[in-house]
Amino acid sequence: MAPLFRNGEVTGSMNKKTSFVKKVRKYWPFYVMAMPACIYFIINNYIPMGGLILAFEKYTIKGGIFGSEKVGLDNFKFLFKSADAWIMTRNTLLYNLAFIILGTFMAVFVAYILHEIRSSLSRKVYQTLILFPGLLSIIIVSYLANALLAGDTGFINMHILQPLGFEPISFYSEQKWWPFIIIFVRLWQMTGTNCILYLANMSAIDPGLYEAASLDGANRRKSFMNITLPCLVPTIITLTILSVGKIFNSDFGLFYQVPMNSGALIDVTQTIDTYVYRGLLNTANMGMSAAACFYQSVVGFVLVMITNAIVRKTSSENAMF
Amino acid sequence: MKRKVTSAVLAAAMAVSMLAGGSVAKAEASEVEKIKIYVPTSGASEDIDNVMAAVNEITREKIGVEVEFKPFEFGQWFQQYSLFLSGTEDVDIIANYGGYLNAVSQGAAYDLTDLVQEYGQDIIEMEGDFLKSGQIDGVQYAIPIYASYAWTMGIIYRQDVVDELGLTEQVAEVKNLEDWGDILAVVKEKKPDMTPFVTNNGNTAPNFTYGLWDDLGNYYGVLMNGGETTDVVNLFETEEYAELCKVMHDWYEKGYSNKDIQTQTDAFPVLTKNDAAFSTIGQTDFNTAYYQTTTCQKEMGAILLDVPVARTYNNVTYTVMSNTEHAEACMKFLNLWFSDEELGNLISYGIEGEHYVLDENGMGKYLEGKDATTCAYHLGASISNINRIRWESENPEYAELLVESNTNAKKSAGLGFGFDTANVTNEITQLDNVCSKYQIGLESGALDPEKYLPEFNAALKDAGIETVIAEKQKQLDAFLGK
Repeated sequence: MAPLFRNGEVTGSMNKKTSFVKKVRKYWPFYVMAMPACIYFIINNYIPMGGLILAFEKYTIKGGIFGSEKVGLDNFKFLFKSADAWIMTRNTLLYNLAFIILGTFMAVFVAYILHEIRSSLSRKVYQTLILFPGLLSIIIVSYLANALLAGDTGFINMHILQPLGFEPISFYSEQKWWPFIIIFVRLWQMTGTNCILYLANMSAIDPGLYEAASLDGANRRKSFMNITLPCLVPTIITLTILSVGKIFNSDFGLFYQVPMNSGALIDVTQTIDTYVYRGLLNTANMGMSAAACFYQSVVGFVLVMITNAIVRKTSSENAMF
Repeated sequence: MKRKVTSAVLAAAMAVSMLAGGSVAKAEASEVEKIKIYVPTSGASEDIDNVMAAVNEITREKIGVEVEFKPFEFGQWFQQYSLFLSGTEDVDIIANYGGYLNAVSQGAAYDLTDLVQEYGQDIIEMEGDFLKSGQIDGVQYAIPIYASYAWTMGIIYRQDVVDELGLTEQVAEVKNLEDWGDILAVVKEKKPDMTPFVTNNGNTAPNFTYGLWDDLGNYYGVLMNGGETTDVVNLFETEEYAELCKVMHDWYEKGYSNKDIQTQTDAFPVLTKNDAAFSTIGQTDFNTAYYQTTTCQKEMGAILLDVPVARTYNNVTYTVMSNTEHAEACMKFLNLWFSDEELGNLISYGIEGEHYVLDENGMGKYLEGKDATTCAYHLGASISNINRIRWESENPEYAELLVESNTNAKKSAGLGFGFDTANVTNEITQLDNVCSKYQIGLESGALDPEKYLPEFNAALKDAGIETVIAEKQKQLDAFLGK
């Protein structure tokens, strides 16, 4: 190795190599520090990608992952052939869009309110209360929802609508309520978790900025719009890009358990994940489920690249890469 | 310091000798083949090691096989079953609940055709023609337990409530679902806390899963009237189906069933146990009243809506994993398990005196002061064959009645047919999705068949039900040698 350094006639690629070696020599403690994470990612996230080949074959135990019969794109057909293809794609996209927009709005809003609370005790109490739903299993959430919504025994029908003289509502067979219910449950559950990052972000803002602003006569709204929000923009953008990457995935429990798998609601609760589950529950076809995941990941990847490119064009300092 | 070093050396030496000892023991036992078997159970299995030791004493001596049972809770089982089939587990025999077709279509089932002839003589003798229900295209993939093959759709209800309300005579006259509606009306009026009619499985399975037809493995293409003819027809377009949906919707409208019947999550036995339900429809045969009385822990009755017919559907089968290295040992073990009474008792109930005792009639019961929840071992009879003692809650003549029922039953034309879904996977995926939208709603009565049945049928057509039916007819014709 050593002569390569001294002699000037090294090729480009070798140059690269040597500079990498040089870097390792110089910064080896950092490489050692990064090693566990790198190994983790390689084992947990990169090696399993070999399994993507499943999406293109008819998996059998005998053939195993790599030896099974290759069937090209056959496994993908079921995703597009069905009359539901449009419905499930629309639902997945629109719900996720709503989650991203309303979720961000709610998270920032709640974080700001919490941030403005002076007493640190009550701030902690409120924050814990808001965070709590996020720790509940979705099955429990679905039964909480059921306790409210059930037709004969639900709280809303029994104790609100009936005493007021309204006709009871059969929530589990009327589609029109569900876009609201799903979004509400999602926000109720996730706002606490989502606002943590913004809250941390807000407490990192230099208080001097607020002081200066108030000396200049800025009211709360103005200092929020001109100081707090601009400071949060990088975080908002990063989180949005990350969520866009998952826009073709959905929280299975939210769309399957919370509506109690009610057939009448399928038009408004069917997402790609529930479709795959309902279709493959009985047949347990490895190839087709792999194909569905492959499709979701590829679309997610493309969307991340596009969003990032747009961000880079408009405000390059906020782009992720 | 010196002492520490010596002790460390000694410890290491001991560890090495133990390793060596272990490997020697292994080498000696290598003539005994070891197999592993996965089963679901709702019973206790803490003491399984002791029971397995007793089981292995018998199997080692008789067939040179050691077996290890790994029981799973039912809930866990149904979630992991697909995973077991993917071949990543170290398991040789696997139980299949509700059909083994997936095991076959995934290539997870070993071809037992020759092995069953060689080592499965007892099974062949006992099962006779019914062994065919483990065959697809002439290949023996699964070994069914000798269960009740002859059954039909029927009404299952609370006998004690019927007696209490003085309806006993009226119930004896019930011939069809319309008659049953009159009973439900009385129950609704007199027992306001009890839902007169609920679905059998909650919303995990359609209400008519156990129908008057032979469903030939799935709902898409059936033989009507318990398989009178060999014409595969579209169940959902038949008048019988429309009629059933109409009755269900009528009951729903009259309030005999719950407004949220579509999202009912508990199965009938759970609701019955808690006095929340009066009746349901489901699979019925000669033993239903006995069986349901045990499961629901209330006095139950059953009305069969038709003559029981022997058909393809069999609940529990065992398949040998296609990647096993001990296929012969597996077959030998299954044969012994299904014929040897001592082994049957051990696996189902544990060791006599430790996990169960015999009462004066020679029937099994829990030890003094123990029950289903405190007993240390009781996998139960449902995974096992009939070569075992009867449990106290069972019909004492169960085995004889079962043989009689199976032997004398009317037989479906499709008996023994297994549908290979490999060519129609895409269609079935879509059909399953269409069904999850309409089937539970229609069959529980929540959806009006006037409006939704035509919609359902149109959606099924779009999803390709005709292709699947044609494929099924083709395979059935081939099976029947036409």
